[in-house]
Amino acid sequence: AQVRIGAGIPTAPPATPVSDLNNYADPKEYEIGGLTVTGTRYLDPNSLVSLTGLKIGDKVRIPGEALGSSIRKLMESGLLDDVELFATNVTDSKIFLSFQVKDRPRLMKVNFAGVRKGEQESLKDKVKLNLGRVITPTVTKNTQLAVRKFFVDKGYLNTKVKTTVIPDSARNNATMRVTVDKGEKVKIRHIALNGRKEVEESKVRLKMKGTKEMRFGRLFTPSKFVPKKYEEDKQKLIEYYNKLGYRDAAVESDSIINNGGNTIDLVLNLNEGQRYYVRNVSFEGNYLYTADRLREVLGVNKGDIYNTEDLEKKLNGTPGQDLSSLYMDDGYLYFSATPVEKAIEGDSIDLEIRVFEGKQATINRVILNGNTKTSDHVVMRQIRTLPGQKFSKTQLIRTQRELATLGYFDPEKIGINPQPQNDGTVDIEYTVEEKPSDQIELSGGWGGFIGFVGTLGLTFNNFSARNITNMNAWRPLPAGDGQRLSIRFQANGRQFQTYSLSFVEPWLGGRKPNALSVSISSTVFRQFNQVDLFSRGTRNATAIGDYKNVAVTVGLGRQLKRPDDFFSLSHSLTYQRYDLNNIALFGNGYNNGLSNNFTFNTTLSRNSIDNPQFPRSGSSFSLSGSFTPPYSVFRPKDYKPPVEDRFKWVEYHKWMFDATWYQTVVGKLVLSARAHMGFLGRYNSRTEIGPFERFVLGGSGLAGQGVFALAQDIVGLRGYPDRQVYTADNNRIAGTGVTSQGGVVYNKFVSELRYPVSLNPSATIFVLGFLEGGNNWGSYKQFNPFDLKRSAGVGARIFMPAFGLIGIDYGWGFDPIPGVQKANTGQFHFTIGQQFR
Amino acid sequence: CSPFSKLQKNGTQEEKYKGALEYYKKEDWYRAGMLFEELIPVLKGSNESEMAQFYYAYTQYHQQLYSVSAQLFKRFYETFARSEKAQEAQYMYALSQYKDTPKFNLDQSNTVAAMSALQDFINSYPESEFREGCTKMILELRQRLEQKAYEKAKLYHKTSGFNIASLKSAVVSIDNFQKEFPDSEYNEELAFLKVDSQYNYAVNSLETKQKERFQDAVTFYQAMVDKYPSSKYLKQAEKMYETSVKEVERLAKLEKEKEQQKQNDANRPAKVTAASN
Repeated sequence: AQVRIGAGIPTAPPATPVSDLNNYADPKEYEIGGLTVTGTRYLDPNSLVSLTGLKIGDKVRIPGEALGSSIRKLMESGLLDDVELFATNVTDSKIFLSFQVKDRPRLMKVNFAGVRKGEQESLKDKVKLNLGRVITPTVTKNTQLAVRKFFVDKGYLNTKVKTTVIPDSARNNATMRVTVDKGEKVKIRHIALNGRKEVEESKVRLKMKGTKEMRFGRLFTPSKFVPKKYEEDKQKLIEYYNKLGYRDAAVESDSIINNGGNTIDLVLNLNEGQRYYVRNVSFEGNYLYTADRLREVLGVNKGDIYNTEDLEKKLNGTPGQDLSSLYMDDGYLYFSATPVEKAIEGDSIDLEIRVFEGKQATINRVILNGNTKTSDHVVMRQIRTLPGQKFSKTQLIRTQRELATLGYFDPEKIGINPQPQNDGTVDIEYTVEEKPSDQIELSGGWGGFIGFVGTLGLTFNNFSARNITNMNAWRPLPAGDGQRLSIRFQANGRQFQTYSLSFVEPWLGGRKPNALSVSISSTVFRQFNQVDLFSRGTRNATAIGDYKNVAVTVGLGRQLKRPDDFFSLSHSLTYQRYDLNNIALFGNGYNNGLSNNFTFNTTLSRNSIDNPQFPRSGSSFSLSGSFTPPYSVFRPKDYKPPVEDRFKWVEYHKWMFDATWYQTVVGKLVLSARAHMGFLGRYNSRTEIGPFERFVLGGSGLAGQGVFALAQDIVGLRGYPDRQVYTADNNRIAGTGVTSQGGVVYNKFVSELRYPVSLNPSATIFVLGFLEGGNNWGSYKQFNPFDLKRSAGVGARIFMPAFGLIGIDYGWGFDPIPGVQKANTGQFHFTIGQQFR
Repeated sequence: CSPFSKLQKNGTQEEKYKGALEYYKKEDWYRAGMLFEELIPVLKGSNESEMAQFYYAYTQYHQQLYSVSAQLFKRFYETFARSEKAQEAQYMYALSQYKDTPKFNLDQSNTVAAMSALQDFINSYPESEFREGCTKMILELRQRLEQKAYEKAKLYHKTSGFNIASLKSAVVSIDNFQKEFPDSEYNEELAFLKVDSQYNYAVNSLETKQKERFQDAVTFYQAMVDKYPSSKYLKQAEKMYETSVKEVERLAKLEKEKEQQKQNDANRPAKVTAASN
C-alpha cells in the first residue's frame, strides 16, 4: 500500500487487472481480503457483491475458475454493460478484489415515427420489446432489423429504419426511438419469362403465387415485391417444370430492374431443357421381394413422364399405398429407397432404385408422454402399435388418427417418435398435448306458445366416475377416465321444465370396448288458463292440466369384428312413464291417464366416416328395432280396455333405418346423401297403435326447443314449419283440422352439397345447399313413399369445441300442406347439436 | 378501498416491502405474493432483493402453486448460491417438485424431474437434516414409476380378450418390467400373468407356431416356480404348465410324423408329383 502525504486527498490505491496476475506456470491461492463493486450509478453495489458468489475469506486460485465464473454471474444478471475485475491490493496470502462495472439503461418507452397507428400495434408484437428490459446493442440492432423486415415483407422494399436510444439522465431509463421511412410500396410492372417455349405462359405465371405483375382490378393478390416470396416462387417454378418431366429446367439468371419510383421489372431467363421419359426401372439391394413385385407396387412404367415429385410420392408417400409401406409395415424400420438416374440417353432415363432393406424391428416399449389429465389406460387402449409386434408404419398412422378422434388432445400436436434400439427392437414414443374437451350449452330464446325458454347444458367428455369421492380430483370435476357425463336443464319457469342426465362408459370393465350408457330424464309441462296466466303470471297462476314424463334408459353397446370393425351392436332397455292430467296433448281424446312404456331396443350400425366435424368420405348405416312386451297376446280375444286406461301398458314395435353417405365431388366440395325411414307397428290387429312414439315432421327437427314436443319422434324437414307436415288422413281430429298425433310411418331423403369455409379445429365452419323431401302417414293404407313434401335451401354450420355444432338454414318448401296456411313459404331454421335425421 | 389496494396503488417501495412482510407474517400468502411480485423487478440490484425473492417463492409454495414455486426456489439458489438460505431453497425446490408430481396413470416427466432434484439435494448437502426425508420421497416416487409400469403391463393382459395380439404384448411388457424392477413386489403376480399370457397366446396360435410358443410357456413357468416356490398363483399356473408340456410332446410327435411322411413321399416314384402338376 502507498501512503501519500501532502494534499491529503486519499485516492484509490492503484488497481491491477486481475488478468495480469495470471501465471499459468505457477497458480497461486489467495484468500479474499476485500470485495467491492465500483462504477455503479443506480444499482446497489452490495447486492451486486452477493451476485458474484464470492465472500470475504474465500480461498481463490489465480488463475482459476472462481473469478471467471463470478464475472459471468454478474453479466448473466443482465443488469450490466461491462465488468472488469481488478486487484486493488495483493499481499502474500490475501487479495483485495474490485469489480469495475458499467450499468445499462432500461427501456421505458418505445416511440415509433413514420408509422400508422394500426401498424404500431403489430410492430410491437413483432419486435417483442418488453418495457423494463436492459437496452443492449443487440436489442437495438434486432429491433431495427425486425422493423425493416416487417415492411419489406409488405412490399415496402425501400424501407429505411433508424433506432436511437435517448437516455433519461435522472433515472436509469431510456426511450427507444424508431424512425421509419417506408417509402412507396414497390410493385412489379412487368415479369419477362425469357426462354419459355414448351409450357403455357399462363400456367407458369400461376405458379408464382406471391410475385405478380400489376394489373388493374387485381384486388385479392395485389402486386408487390417481397424478396423472400420471389425466391420461393422461383423454386416453385422449377418444381413445376420438374413435375412435367423437364428435369434440367433452371432459372439461369434473373435480374431486378429498378424503374425509379415505385415499380420494378423482373427478367427471368429460363432454360427449360428437354422433356424426359422413364425407360427402364431396375432395383438393387432387394432380397425379400423380386424386382417384378417391387415394380408392380411402385407403379412407374416404361414411357411414363419422368416426374421426380411423383416418384418420391410413390416411394415414400401415403402409408399403405407406397413402396416403403411394403417393408415398413412388416418391421423393416430402416428401409430406404434411393432413386438413381443410371443412364440418360436422348430423352430416356434408366432408373435404378437402390433399396436398403435393413433388419426387421420388433416393438418393445410403447411410451406415452404428455397426458397430464387423461389416464394412461384410456390412451393406451387406442394405440395400435403393440409390444411384440413388428413395426408398422400404417399402424403408426392409424394410431395417430385414433388418438385424434378421442377428442382429448390437440390433433396438430400428436407426436410419434420411433426410437430404434441396438438389440433390433424399437421403442415408440407418443407425445400428446391435452386440450379442453368439455362443452357448455347456454341459450335462451322465444319458443312458440310457451314463451321464453332457457337452456343450460354441460357435457364433460373426459369424466372419471370412480374419482367422484376423491375430493382432490375435483378440478373442477374428476376427469381423465374417458367417460362422458352430460347434464341438461331447460325451463321457462313453472310452465315447462325438463332435466336430463346421461353417462357413458366406453369400456365397461376395461377389458373390451363395451359401452355402457345410462340416462335419466324428467319433464313437466303445465297448462294454464290463458286469462289467468296473463293476469297473474306463471308464478301464481293455477295449472288446469299437466303432463309429466320420467324416462330411464340403460344400454350396452359393443364394437363388432365381423363383417368388419366399423360395425357395432347395441342393446338398451327403456322405461318411460307418461302421466297426463287433463291435457289435450295428443289431440286424440286421450287427456287423462297413466301410461307405462317398457321397450327393448337393438341397434346394428356401421360407421366409417372419416372425420366427425367435416366428413369427406365414408358412410354410416343404422338399423334399429324397439319392442314393447306384447301384452295383447296374453289377453283374451274379447278383451276391451277401459276407455280411461286404454294406454296403461303401451304396446308397439318400431323400426328405424338411417343411412348417410359422404363423397368428395371436386376439390373441397362434398356431397352428402341421406335416407331415413321409420315404421311403427302393432302386434295384434285388435289393438290400436297408441299416440306414443309417432313420427312428427317439419322444421329444424329439434325436440323440446321452443315448440313443446314429447313422447313423439321429431324429424326435421327444412322449408316447412316445425311439426307441421301432415297428410290429410284420419289422423286429424274431425272438424278441427288440427292434430299433434303424428304418423306411424315416415320417410325422408336428403342431398346436401357442403363446402368448408374453415377447417380450423377451434372453429370448423361450412356452408351447404340442400334438396330434401319427406312425409309421414297416419296409416299403412295411405303410405306412398313417393308422395313427398319437397324443399330446397341453403345453410351454414359452425362447430366449436366448447359449444358443439350450431347451424342456421333457410329453406323453401315446394308443396302445400292441406290445412296449414302458408306452410310452404321460406323458413329460417336454427339447430343446436348434431341432427341425425 | 381496502388498505391492500391502497397500498398496491399508492404505496412507496418501502411501504410495499414492509406491507408484504406483514402479510407474509399473517400468512396471507396471496396478498404478500402480489406485493412481492410487483417489488422484485424494482428491487433488482438492491439490498432487499434477495429476501424478497425468497419470500415470494414461499408465498407461491403455500398457495400450492408448486410448479411456480419450484422455478422460483431454483432461480433463488442459482442466483444466490452463497446465501444462507441457499440450502433451504434447494430443499424447497426439490419439495415443490415432489408436491407437483401427478398420479401414476398420468405423464410422469415431473416425477422423474422431482427424483433428480431430490437426489441433487442429497448430493449437495449430504449432512442435511432433510436427507432422510428426501430419500423416502425418492423411494415413493420410484414406487410410483413401478406401479405405472405394472399397470401398463397388466393392461395388455386385461384387454387381450378384445385383441389376442396384446397377449404377446403383455409378455414383452412383463419381461421389460422384470428387467427394470427386479426387486418389485409386483413380480410374483406378473410372473404368473406372464405364464398365463404366453399359454393363452400359444393356445390361440396357428399350429405351426404352437410348439415354440408352448415351449416358452413351459420356460416361463419353470422360472416362476424357481423364484416363487410357494406362490398362491402356482396352482393355476401348474395346470397350464401340464397342458403345455403335453402339447409340446404332441406337436413334436406330429412334426416327426410329418417328417416321416415327407421322406416317404420323396421315396415314392416320381410320377406322382408329375401327375399332381
